[in-house]
Amino acid sequence: MTELAQNVIDGLGRGSIYALLALGIAVIFGVMHLLNFAHGELITVSGYVAYWVFSAGLSWYWIAPLVVLVSVGTALAIEQVAFRWVRGAADFTMLLTSFGVHFVVQAVFFMYVSASVRNFDRPRWITNTFDVGPVTIEVFDVVVIAVTALTLAATAAVLQRTMFGLSLRAAAEDFDAARLMGVKSDRVIRGAFALSGVLAGIAAIFWLMRAGQTTPSAGITPMLKGVLAALIGGLGSLRGAVLGGLLLGLAEVLLRSRLPDGIAGLTDGVVFVLIALLFIFRPGGLITVSRAERV
Amino acid sequence: MKPPGSFAGVRRDVAFPMTGAALLAAVLIVGGAVYSAAGGATADKLVTAMLIDAIMVVGLQIYIGNTGVFSFGHIGFAAVAGYTFAVLAIEPARKSTVIRNAPWGLNEVHLSPVQATAVAALVTLVAAVVVGLGLARSGAKSGSVSAAVITLALLFVTHELALNWTDLTGGDRAGLSFRIGNTLEGRTVIYVVLVAVIVMARLFAQSRIGRLAQAAREDNLAARAMGVNPVAGQMAALLLSVLVVAVAASLRVYDIGNITPKFFFFDYTLLTLVMLIVGGRNSVTGALSGVVIITAGRELTRRFASDGFEFFGVSLDAPVVDWLLREGLTQIFLGAAMLGFMILRANGLLGDWELDAWLWRRWRRRKPEERPEPLAEIAPVGLHAEVDHEGAALEVHDLDVDFGGFRALDGAGLTVAPDEVVGLIGPNGAGKTTLINVITGVVAPSAGWFKVGERELTVAPSHDIARAGLVRTFQNLRLFGALTVRQNVELAARVAAQHRPGSHPPVDALIAEAGLWDVRDRRARELDYGSARRLELARAAAMAPAYLLLDEPTSGMSDAESAEMIGRIRHMAAAVDAGVLVIDHDLNFITGISDRIYVLDQGQVISAGTPDEVQADPAVRSAYLGAEIDAQRRG
Repeated sequence: MTELAQNVIDGLGRGSIYALLALGIAVIFGVMHLLNFAHGELITVSGYVAYWVFSAGLSWYWIAPLVVLVSVGTALAIEQVAFRWVRGAADFTMLLTSFGVHFVVQAVFFMYVSASVRNFDRPRWITNTFDVGPVTIEVFDVVVIAVTALTLAATAAVLQRTMFGLSLRAAAEDFDAARLMGVKSDRVIRGAFALSGVLAGIAAIFWLMRAGQTTPSAGITPMLKGVLAALIGGLGSLRGAVLGGLLLGLAEVLLRSRLPDGIAGLTDGVVFVLIALLFIFRPGGLITVSRAERV
Repeated sequence: MKPPGSFAGVRRDVAFPMTGAALLAAVLIVGGAVYSAAGGATADKLVTAMLIDAIMVVGLQIYIGNTGVFSFGHIGFAAVAGYTFAVLAIEPARKSTVIRNAPWGLNEVHLSPVQATAVAALVTLVAAVVVGLGLARSGAKSGSVSAAVITLALLFVTHELALNWTDLTGGDRAGLSFRIGNTLEGRTVIYVVLVAVIVMARLFAQSRIGRLAQAAREDNLAARAMGVNPVAGQMAALLLSVLVVAVAASLRVYDIGNITPKFFFFDYTLLTLVMLIVGGRNSVTGALSGVVIITAGRELTRRFASDGFEFFGVSLDAPVVDWLLREGLTQIFLGAAMLGFMILRANGLLGDWELDAWLWRRWRRRKPEERPEPLAEIAPVGLHAEVDHEGAALEVHDLDVDFGGFRALDGAGLTVAPDEVVGLIGPNGAGKTTLINVITGVVAPSAGWFKVGERELTVAPSHDIARAGLVRTFQNLRLFGALTVRQNVELAARVAAQHRPGSHPPVDALIAEAGLWDVRDRRARELDYGSARRLELARAAAMAPAYLLLDEPTSGMSDAESAEMIGRIRHMAAAVDAGVLVIDHDLNFITGISDRIYVLDQGQVISAGTPDEVQADPAVRSAYLGAEIDAQRRG
């Protein structure tokens, strides 16, 4: 029981970050049907910015807002350079475009910035823990969960209460109809990228705080986790993305602590098998967004 | 009447593809030999690697190209094959140092390379069957995200296994390696495999099952409506492609002499995918051009990065250039190639074009085909001669369909007798198309049933309904765009030949009947609107259907074209001996073509009878015709 409670808290901490990444991916998928494999590049770019700022002697209080800004800027730049040219193209084309972006950004950092690991100090408090009865809780997890909850609440408010949120949800429902009703597609798509940039930026802060380093390929793991979480939840469903992120985090922590020693190293593999099974039996993910084909 | 496997057909479907494929292979082999003769040992290695990559990429093309289903997992299959090959073919003395504790006594096994390849292929095929069933269960179709995820999972799972199952794979550090000098000698084997694989890929694309896969790629829904079960074509393509990939993987391992987990992982996936899409994934010629272009580009960028910029005697020597060109350049090249092609030319350099299509066109210009006899002069075709049609009526009873809170059909029913032309009219939103969607298995009814003759089809899948003889056209044209006019009709005829009893209308005659003879080798997506409509009709008729279900066959046509369509539909239906159920708003058209008419309003049949009776019915006048007549008066 104690162990389970411990796992759940660890899992939620981990899952919160995934949820933020997945939500950004789901928002973009909603408005333009693009499964964004380049989402992790926001973390790569943020990571180098964090490193430079840190090398300049500034603290995390400066780094955090900067990382969010940079992440938004990068998201918008990628949209401008690559994705706007394939709007409305086949799913296949958009998927590979995002792959292309991913590889180009990674290679650019590898070539012109640094091929090796760049380290920076992690904030001192993140290893602090406190005990609640028999359960040891990391301060970091509490912060992550709290900030994620706040971010999600703010995002929900934006989506529910603002004109931008309404257009975005309308576009996700039926892009053409939304356009006919006067929603400006350009603005909605850019807005979606900006929003995904904010969410990824907040996720990046936590990711980098925990990692304390960055490399040109640092974006791959968070990208995969985000994509998988969004898929688990049901692509295009915003609630599903959050749910998928939390579930993925929980599943990883639970598997890692429960799998027998011999195959504990295979946690990621097992998670992948589970996801493949989910997709075989529920191709739309947990929360299926129905998209009727007109005949 | 020409027999189905006419000589020209064999030439087009077998002889020319084989010639084209052989030519392609020859170009690759001779070009490679010349380059390696000129360039020494490094060039030799490069060419060998390129030829093996070519086999691998053709393997990918067979699946991704024909089905349109995107797979990240093929390199995962390659990993399975590569490790199986290595474990079996490496000599026990060597294995005893790295994988002493291999399970099932595999460290004692020593097979010849050929045997090891065969076993590797078998093991990989078993894995492919499992993955293929999963893909089928998930409803994989062109561009589906779930298929991309399932195959990506395969790639990662094989990688994790390779990393962690060190007793079998040697893990990350050592990997498995052959003794130096004990690896692939010479290129004869590669040449033989390459030629065989290219020919096989071309013939597969041309074969019946290959065409079925392509039809499902072009339009999954329309393919099912033509009696195609997409799963069959996808599974066949997957197995053949995985077989090729397994052989290529074994060759690659045997050539290089070792295997580690990263050998068949992300980098190689990227490389092979870029090769495939740059040249054009839908064509074997394209896939091979991609292999050559990307290999050359990679080699050039590698040299720029290591030796500075020098290209055909032009050299640039500036610090900026040296700074710009450095290690990693090949990665940028690959990423940029993918990005650039996706943005500028998503179907690759060659798109759907094959070398042999060009050969065929040249040959046909020298020997033009004879225009076929018109349909009417061909003695009875269709089912009538063999099958007794009496009583095989289409009966539709009390259908209900709910979309959320909206009741689209509310107890609608009708009957069509064999050889009868029945019209179905009603205002927009009356449920006309929904009714056709129900009786072709696209939409499930919440109540009611329908049958043809004694066969109830209410819960049958689309493709079974089509095979049972209910064949439809679509309101918003759904042709197989990348296939030619003739291939569209031929595909339906091939499905009919397999699943519909009795004799069948000759393909060429149907094409001529639809007025498409002169454009028979054009791709369907290049047709003008009227021709495309007529092609849909001809394609449906080629199924030798019991009933043709036509959803607004004249929408978007002028009055003169509509009038002409009346004769064409009646004639073609009579020629293939089919009953007709036709939907349209155009009153002149419906009254002109129909023997009887049903009027649908708000999901219910409000009137039925001959055209005159229906037009006289006051309920109809108020529900539908009134508005129409007013509009006509005003307009």
